[in-house]
Amino acid sequence: MHRLNVILLKEWRESLRNKMILFGAIFLPLFMVGAAVVMVYQGRGIDVPGAQIALFNTALMYFLILPAVIPLAIAAYSIIGEKEQGSLEPLLATPISDLELFLGKALASVIPALILTWGSFGLFLGLSIPLVGGIPPHVLTPPWIAAIFGLAPLLSLFSVGVTMLVSSRASDARAAYQVSSLAILPGIVPLIIYSSKKTLVSLFLVGLEGAVLIVASIIVLYFAIKVFRREQILTRWK
Amino acid sequence: MSNIAICAKNLTRDFDTVRAVDSLSLEIPQGIVFGFLGPNGAGKTTTIRMLAALIAPSSGEATVAGLHLGRENRAIRQHVGVLTETPGLYKRLSAIDNLLFFAKLYGVPEPRKQAERYLQLFELWDRRDDLAGSFSKGMRQKLAIARAMLHEPQILFLDEPTASLDPEAAKVVRDLIETLRTKERTIFLCTHNLDEADRLCDRVALFNTRLVAIGPPQELKERLYGRRTVIHLADPHPGLEDALKLSFIKKIERLDNTLVVSLSDPERENPILVSRLVELGAKVQFVNELRVSLEDLYLDLMEENNAST
Ligand SMILES: Nc1ncnc2c1ncn2[C@@H]1O[C@H](COP(=O)(O)OP(=O)(O)OP(=O)(O)O)[C@@H](O)[C@H]1O
Ligand SMILES: [Mg+2]
Repeated sequence: MHRLNVILLKEWRESLRNKMILFGAIFLPLFMVGAAVVMVYQGRGIDVPGAQIALFNTALMYFLILPAVIPLAIAAYSIIGEKEQGSLEPLLATPISDLELFLGKALASVIPALILTWGSFGLFLGLSIPLVGGIPPHVLTPPWIAAIFGLAPLLSLFSVGVTMLVSSRASDARAAYQVSSLAILPGIVPLIIYSSKKTLVSLFLVGLEGAVLIVASIIVLYFAIKVFRREQILTRWK
Repeated sequence: MSNIAICAKNLTRDFDTVRAVDSLSLEIPQGIVFGFLGPNGAGKTTTIRMLAALIAPSSGEATVAGLHLGRENRAIRQHVGVLTETPGLYKRLSAIDNLLFFAKLYGVPEPRKQAERYLQLFELWDRRDDLAGSFSKGMRQKLAIARAMLHEPQILFLDEPTASLDPEAAKVVRDLIETLRTKERTIFLCTHNLDEADRLCDRVALFNTRLVAIGPPQELKERLYGRRTVIHLADPHPGLEDALKLSFIKKIERLDNTLVVSLSDPERENPILVSRLVELGAKVQFVNELRVSLEDLYLDLMEENNAST
């Protein structure tokens, strides 16, 4: 536990010095919050059935893209950064366990992703309440809450697992980032498709997406853990 | 605790079809500097990785710091320090942050104090807050050695610590290594620099996938070449060799005015040899012991080894 904390703090210290990561971690959430506020603001008075709902669905989607996308850059740079610097071997020479290393890398991306997602959602509420004159409709209903607090962590986990797998094979952070972005698409495509629909998200749909993500994450994380073993890292990684 | 630092029995490692290390057996006593010498691709790094519990042997066994390789890997990692082939520092972290991170991972009781101690010891104190990425190669290497020392390991593995350093930086690092040896600490030094090995090591192993030879450098040289005395004469004095007639002379070679005499006990035999030469009218100018370098030994043994395989 102690070692895990040590790894996490080091990951964040390094990430904070990486402009690519900082840029993504600051601008992406701000952009999403801005866009979501605009959607909600425009949708506030619309009477056309379905139109308002589509706008709100899109706003929700923004908050589900964040947890999937933020870990990509952090994980890709942290793993490939270690490779480029040749720092994995000294790190593996310490008494850390393979699992501690894996969790350190995974949580170092998942935790900020969730903090930023939920922080953005809070900011969104804070900005839209005065603009719309009260809590925007739908936003604090069970499907939204289940999506923001249930789907977001699953999306992050899935995303981190994919990036860790891809990064173990790649030697260029940008390339790993791009490949991982493509690889997580199946996880967020349902959201994108659904966001154009004119029916409200239901708990059933959120649950369905959640179940699919749980299965996908378990598979991906299983392989990622296998790849994150000393022996593998030192002898098989490229 | 026994005073054997490392004991390996038939340690072997295969990579797919390549055998990198073949039945390596050795015993390294505590407190010595052990030189592990071999050409590129000999399997030196693979050996270090196995002994430091980073990768598993394909077969064979070892105890490291009295701990069983395979069963007590975590404890082994806690008791050994490794300077890897490349320094592998975090370029975006300052020198002190690099050390603090490792000190904490090793569970050093007072990480900051210990990091500061080594920064001072290694003369990096003034640059402690600079990013490791801004360091020169020599400074990086020093910082990397400091990192491997923070938890005061019983065994320190150094994988080519002076490769790619300029002569001055190499000397600094070499002197540093000298200061790290203590009665309790064993240093396992891989190097290509044979002069360095000759100077630093109490014992060396010549290795090329298999062990070629092992022993104190001086003993190895004597085993291979015997001991030889070089005598410079003022003039050629033909026929002198045959006139000597001393039974203890094993072999005598001549190059112009110089005689090279192989002896088994030069301390006792040289005075007799010299007085006999004077008796025969030879004008002796200089008498020296012929010193072979570890390099000669290495090159000869490796050649022999290549020829036999
Ligand atoms: N991960 C690996 N996969 C496949 N083969 C490997 C791997 N690591 C080492 N080898 C092979 O094992 C042999 C020994 O390599 P090793 O790096 O241990 O040699 P070395 O003595 O350290 O060489 P150098 O002096 O160049 O550092 C080489 O033939 C190398 O190609
Ligand atoms: Mg090597």
